[in-house]
Order: sequence, then C-alpha cells, then structure tokens
Amino acid sequence: MIELKNIEKYYANKGVKSYILRHVTTSIKQGEFVSIMGPSGAGKSTLLNILGMLEEPTYGQYEFMGEDVVSLNERKRIELYRNHIGFVFQAYHLIDEMTVAENIEAPLLYKKVPGSERRSRIADMLDRFNMVAKSDLFPNQLSGGQQQLVGIARALVAQPSIILADEPTGNLQSAQALQIMELFKKLNEEEGITIVQVTHSEVNAAYGSRILHLLDGVIKEDVTVSQTV
Amino acid sequence: MFRLNLKIALRNLWKNKVYTLINVGGLAIGLASCMLLLMYVAYEWSYDKQFKNYDKTYVVRLNSKTNSGVVGYGYTPSVMAEEIRQKAPGVAYASRSSYPGNELISYQNKNFKKGAIFADAALLKILDYKFIKGNPEKALHEVNTVILTETLAKNLFGNEDPINKIVKFQNVEPLKVEAVIQDVPVNSTLQFDYLMPWALNEKLNEWVRGSPGWGNSYCLTLMQLKDNKYFENASGFIKNVFYANQKNSSNEGSMHPFSKWHLYDKFENGKSTGGKIDQIRIFLILAFCILLIACVNFMNLSTARSEKRAREVGVRKAIGSSRKSLISQFMLESMLLSFIGMGIAFISLELSLPYFNHLLDIQLAINYNSWEFWCTLIGLTIITGFIAGSYPAFYLSSFEPVKVLKGFNVAGGSSISVRKVLVVFQFVFAACLIVCTSVIYQQLNFIKNKPVGYDRNGLIELPLLGDLKSKAKMDLAKEQLLKSGAVSSVTYFSQSLNGGGNTTYDFSWPGKGLNDLNLINFRGAGDDFTKTVGTTLLAGREFSSQFVDTTNVMINQAAAKIMGLKNPVGKVITWGGTPITIVGFVKDFVMESPYQNASPLVIYHPTTNYSYLLARLNPEQNVSRSVTQIDEIIKKLNPNFPVDRRFVRDDFEDKLQNEKRLGMLSNWFGGFAIFISCLGLLGLALFMAEQRKKEISIRKVLGASTVNILTLLNKDFIKLVAVANLIAFPLAYIIINHWLSAYSFRVAISILPFAIAVALSFLIAILTVSIQSVKVAKANPVDALKYE
Repeated sequence: MIELKNIEKYYANKGVKSYILRHVTTSIKQGEFVSIMGPSGAGKSTLLNILGMLEEPTYGQYEFMGEDVVSLNERKRIELYRNHIGFVFQAYHLIDEMTVAENIEAPLLYKKVPGSERRSRIADMLDRFNMVAKSDLFPNQLSGGQQQLVGIARALVAQPSIILADEPTGNLQSAQALQIMELFKKLNEEEGITIVQVTHSEVNAAYGSRILHLLDGVIKEDVTVSQTV
Repeated sequence: MFRLNLKIALRNLWKNKVYTLINVGGLAIGLASCMLLLMYVAYEWSYDKQFKNYDKTYVVRLNSKTNSGVVGYGYTPSVMAEEIRQKAPGVAYASRSSYPGNELISYQNKNFKKGAIFADAALLKILDYKFIKGNPEKALHEVNTVILTETLAKNLFGNEDPINKIVKFQNVEPLKVEAVIQDVPVNSTLQFDYLMPWALNEKLNEWVRGSPGWGNSYCLTLMQLKDNKYFENASGFIKNVFYANQKNSSNEGSMHPFSKWHLYDKFENGKSTGGKIDQIRIFLILAFCILLIACVNFMNLSTARSEKRAREVGVRKAIGSSRKSLISQFMLESMLLSFIGMGIAFISLELSLPYFNHLLDIQLAINYNSWEFWCTLIGLTIITGFIAGSYPAFYLSSFEPVKVLKGFNVAGGSSISVRKVLVVFQFVFAACLIVCTSVIYQQLNFIKNKPVGYDRNGLIELPLLGDLKSKAKMDLAKEQLLKSGAVSSVTYFSQSLNGGGNTTYDFSWPGKGLNDLNLINFRGAGDDFTKTVGTTLLAGREFSSQFVDTTNVMINQAAAKIMGLKNPVGKVITWGGTPITIVGFVKDFVMESPYQNASPLVIYHPTTNYSYLLARLNPEQNVSRSVTQIDEIIKKLNPNFPVDRRFVRDDFEDKLQNEKRLGMLSNWFGGFAIFISCLGLLGLALFMAEQRKKEISIRKVLGASTVNILTLLNKDFIKLVAVANLIAFPLAYIIINHWLSAYSFRVAISILPFAIAVALSFLIAILTVSIQSVKVAKANPVDALKYE
C-alpha cells in the first residue's frame, strides 16, 4: 500500500543542513498496524506527515496505492484525503464551532455523500462510540477522551483505507488511552483498516503488529510484534 | 453544505461578539454614510432632469466683453425668445420668464408672499409641469390670469375648487385662477409658487414696457430644439444674435444645457468651468473612501483573528476540504456580516435622513419603489462583502495544514505588515479629513469675519411694497421709526443690500476710452446712506435733505480707480449724456459676492423708486423690543402686506451656504471615517494584546510595571499614526491648496490644521489602544502562562 524509498528530509539553515529523516526505506502493507517509536526529535511526526502528504520529502520516492504522490497536485491530494486517509491528532483538532455530529459529518460533506446516507453513517458512528446523547454538544463540553473518540469517528466516517494517528493518546489519561488502543486494534482486525500511529509508549506500541524504531532520522529497528504479548 | 456553513458562520459571529460588533458597526456606518452621500449626489444629479425633453432644452446665456474679460449672465433681453422662435434653426419652443421674486398673493383674508414668475405660454411646452386642474393649452394666454401650484392653491382655497376664482396680486391686480399644477419639484432650478403671463408683467411694470430692445437683459430665456442634431446650427445662430440685431454689440449668446444648469453653474470667460459639480465629485469620492475604510477594517480584523481560524483551516484541509470551499466559507461569513451591516445601515439611514435634510435644507427620502435604490444598496453590500472578505478568504485559505497543526505562529511577519499598511491607510485618510475640515472652517470664518466695508450687525432691511411704495408713506415710516427710538437712522436703497443689481456701460468720464468696456453698477440711495449702513465716507458728503441731490452722485473707490479720478469729489461725469456731479467718495463695500472685490459703483439719489428701506437699530435699546416696534409701525402703515423684516447679517450668511454645507458634511462624514478607523485600531489592539499576552506576562513576572507595559503596547500604534500623519500632510496640503485656489480671498494655510490633525489622531489612537492594553497590562500573568 505504501512504498517509501530513500526518503530524506532536511532543513537548510545558513548553509548547514539539519537532517530530520535519512534514507528511510520501508513499505507498509494493507491491513498492517504500524507503530512508529523513538525519542523526541527522532523524526516520527515528520515521517507521519510525509505519509499523510502534509509535508513533502526533500528527496526520495513515495508511492501511495501504486501512485507516485511526491509531486501530486492539490486537487488529487484532496481526493486521497477524502477517500483513503483519515487523520487522528494528538490535540484532537475538532472544529470548535461545530457540534459532535457536525464534526463527524464534515468529511462526508466534502466527499459529497448524499444526505440520507450521511445521516445513517453519522448515526452508526455515534452508536458505535456510545455518543448518541452527546451528538449536539460542542467539543469544549466533552472530556479529552470523548473528544478523541469524536476525532476517531470523524476519521472513520469517510471509510478510509488507512488511519494516520499522531500520538492519539498523548493527551489522555491511561484508562482512556487503553480504550482508544483497544478501538484501533478492533478496527484493524475486524475491518482491515491500515493504521499507522506515532507513539512514545511501549504499551501502545504493543497493540500494533509492527514497530518502526526511529533514531535521529534513521530507522534503527523494524520489528514484528508477536501477537501473544 | 451551504446551510452548515451558514450555521457555523453565525455561531462564529456569536462567539466573537466584540469582533462582530466592531465589524458590523464599522460596515453599517460605512454603508450608511456611503448611501447617504450617494443619495445626496443622486439628488443633486437629478436636478432639472424630471422634465420630458430636458435633454433638448437649453438656457440662453449672454456673454459680455468687459475690460476684465468676458462676464457671463444667465439673463437675456426680452426680445430674445421671440427672435429665437422665429429665426433659430431647428427650434421647437422658446420662452422668456422673469426673475423669481416673492410677491403677495391673496384670496379673501388669506395673504401669502410666495415665489412668482411671469412667463410666456411656451414655458409650459418646454417644461411639462403636471396639470391637476385646468387646460394647459389655454393657460397663460389671457392677461389677468394665474397658474397656482398645488400647495399654494390648498393654502389659499382650502378644499374649494380654485378654478375661475379671483385672487389678488400685490393686493391690487385681480387674477383669475386658470389652472393648478403639481408643486414644482424641489430638485428643479426654476422655483416658483405661481405663474403669471408675461403680458401681465408688461401691464404692471412700466420699465418692462419701456425696455423691449437688445440693451436690457432681465429675462430667463429657455429654448427647446426639435432634435439635438440642430444644436450646431442653433448655437451658431445664438452666438451671433446680438451682433445681428445691434450693429456695434460686442455681446455673444450661448446655449447652456438645461440639465447642467444646476451643477455646472460657474463660468469663467464665458465658458462653463464646473461649479457645484466639483463639490459633488468630492462627496462621491468621500462616499467610497468611507466604505473602503470600513472594508479595510474588516480585512484587518479578520486577518488579525487568523491565528484562531488557522487551526480550523488546517483541520478542514486535512479532512478533505478544497481551497475553494474554504474561500466560499470565508466569503459567506463576510457577506453575512455585510448584510447584517446593511440592515443596520438601512435603519440608521431612515433615522438620520430627517436630520440630514434639516442640516442641508433639502428633501431626501428613501423611495421604497425605486429599484435603483435597492440595487445600489444591495450592490454596495455585495461589493463591500466581497472586498472586505477577499483578503481574509484568500489569505486564510492559503494556510498549509501541517504548519498550522504543528502550532507555528501564523501571524508572523508578513501579515502584520499588511495590517500595518491598512491601518496607516485609514489614518492617512482620517488625518487628511481632519486637516481639510479645519481649513474649510477657517476659510468660512475668514470670509464671515472679513470686513465687508459696512457694519452688517444691527442693520435691518424691509422691502417697500404696497402702500409703502408712495413717497409720502415711505417718509412717514422713516419719521415714525426714528421717533419710536427703535432705530437710530434710516435710508432707502434701490436693491437689497446683499443682492445683485443694475449695471451699465452708459457712464462717461473725461478720458474714457472709446473701447472701454467697464460695467459699472448703479444703485439709488436715500439720505443718510453712509451713516445708516456704516460705511466710510472718504471725501465729500452724503445725500442729505439739506441739499437737492437729483443730479449728484457718490462713487466708490473701485469706480474712482476705473475713471482715473484721484480726488473725485466735485468732478463731473455723464450718465447717458446727462452731466452729474460727484459729491461723495465712499470706501468699497461688498454687496454681491463676499469672495470678490467690490465692483465699481455709482450711487445716485432718486426721489422715488426705492425698493428697500434700510434701518440701523438703536444700539441703546434691546433688539427684540426694537424689532417688535418696527414690525408694529410697518404693519400699521402697510396693513395688507406681511412685514418681511430681515437682518442684513442673516442674508449675508446665506451667501456662505455652500461652504457651510461643505464644512458640515466633511465634519460629519470625516467624523464617521475617523470613528470607523478607531474601530479598526481597537480591533488591532485587541489582537495585539492577545498575541502578546505571553510576552507581557513574562515581562510582568520579570518586574515590568503597568506603565512600562502600556508604553510598550502603545508605542507600535503611535509609530503607525505618526507615519500616517507624515503621509497625509503633503496630500492634505495639495487638496486644500487646490480647494482654496478657487477663492480670491482665502485664508493662508497655517500650521494649525496640521497640528489639530496630529493632536487629534494621536489622542484618538492612544485612547483607543489603551482601552484594550490597560486590561492586558493589569491581567494576572499566571492566566496567560499556565497553558504553556
């Protein structure tokens, strides 16, 4: 599904190149649950942003579903966002002016899903995350864990093939974090959604099927997690 | 999608009430000011255009060559209309009419002094006044007839049918009411309340009968062409009409389009050089500048809030929103705001119109059936919404999602400088307006206080009408007025002291050149003239009952200069061949325009034929008591006419109407512009304070006092205002210099208006900014720091 070849990213500052990513080559297959780990400044988030096409690599080749996306124009990229990629952010990034239901609805609107189907999909999501009673509340009326659930619901509602999550539990208490991780695992296993998450926590990483260890922009280790853990 | 966007836009507006208020308020004031000015401009523009064939109608003008260039007159000889009707190519109608004057008209015991015009029947063909009653074909043909306007008919007759009733003109002449027409539209230059046939003018006034030739110009001549293709030929004919009829005439005729009569009323050397239209242009520019300022405000505030909105943009882009849909969302918000602004603007427009009308003495009203009005209003609103929304829409939608989501500081360098430029632009405009307004007021005061050569305070003027026209009654009035103690001296004058009057080439003096084309004014004055009006007698004496002065005259300095007389007293000149002796030499005094030097004047002393009585109020006595006494005496002597006593001072100030109006408008709308600019500044201050919250908190933790913080925050804005002033000064200087150059008497441009602009703009800026910065400076630093 994802093919990265020799991805490099650096910032040139007064002639000095400071590398974020070096020679990153890897591939992620459909249905994998990948956790990217590493200390602060290792380039985890940058890698995820490149995967999400929010940032462009300085060098290297990136193929998403067999398509070269490094030089993709904005219109095509937006198409990919609408149909294949769901983002989950550490800071949830819900739109404050929208209710829970409207936040979930937003991607569908951009995707031009007809009204009746929108309503059924939103109802489905609310049901699945036990948030029916909260559908008319605004984000600031929810707890952090609930907000992140809405964030995930919003990412899922467009039925993406991959979810990119940047420290999805970073702002949550451990019990809530556990809940989110269970949810990811279930989505991955039952619906076959590819998930790539950035995380600091060994515990969270253990939910995945594969861990990429990043250090100073280089992939140090690529381990497959044995599901028995 | 649209509904959701609308809902979100509304929520956004509601959530940020202060911003919404500032934005809507600014836009509403901008829109209302713009609409009001546009309505005023449209009103002035519509002058004389309500008649069916206005575009084929022309006013015939007379250009007279004098030593000081060509002097133009809007009045022409009474034979002109007939000559044009008979001989001019392509002419459909031509008519003459008299100068409108307030004359007494009465029915039973109701008396009104209303605007009267004598006119040819052809006037009704040229200007299609709407007849309510009576036959337009027959009107103005019989001598003793009158056409009333609707309001006058109502005042005179109430609910009676006025047709064929007899009214009295000047209390003597019975006139049969032939027709009633709708009131003359207010935006029509030719104003009157009733129309009488020209034949009646000839019957009543000997001087009209006696001056049928080409030498006397006292008729307004209107002509209408069959088609404008004849214009070339017709104007060629008009140009030479004087020469064709008077062999040695140096006069030329010209055709001035009827539709330009009102706005292009200034002539130099016989050519139209603008006039009111210049003012109208200023107002048009002002209208759009105010709107632009309001737009700038909006842009400023929206981009200032960009940090808050940036995250939303990022998220929306990441979940698949295209840039187009973001632009349309921001546009929608701006449209929404401008439509709310429009609603408020509309209400304030309705509320302020009566006041505005009163201020300018005009009648503007919102015509709810006029599609032009609604189109303009909605068009302006959409344009405003678009201009105001364009910058934020394109700016905000251009954010890269990852940068925003990573939490970088959106409001970095470039956007700040754009906002600064916008604020500077607003304040340049505001400072310019302050300077211009103060100069207009300075000029107004300068003209008001410029010595006119006589003492206009405590001087009153009474028209001599009806019984007072007779010499005996006139002298009786003088005697009684003096005896009552209400006045200290009385004289008569052949015209109103503030009005125009008669001019002639007929004076001759020793050494006058053959081709001398100096027009000299002449006026008749009674005894004690200089004493009453308070002008200075430089040499000789004034007319007095001790002498017989029928062949004696007084002249002013300007006349003495033209005649080349160093010591005019005792010299003999001729007037139409008759020798007259100069007995008095008076200082120049202003009669017509306060903006021009006094024209040469010869004052003669007729026994009768005066039309005004001038009296100086007794300075020892209370003014209101004197005035009551005067009114009583005059009423007793002339019971059939209302007492029309006026202060010369008031009449004089009426001449400053144009400048007063300009001053008033620039004051009001300048005020609005400054207010809107302040709103913009306030918004920017709000944003700056917000943005620098953390910095301020850190500074406070490090020991900065409130004053330190205030200085820090205000410093930036002061810099902006200073820059704005620097840009504004040369600009304002050019503008006012241009404006003042139209006046031959003008105030010198001083430092004062600029000082006012600096002081005012700084004061306003500091006050506005401080409202916000005090709050921030006093806030508890922990509140800002704990989230980091």
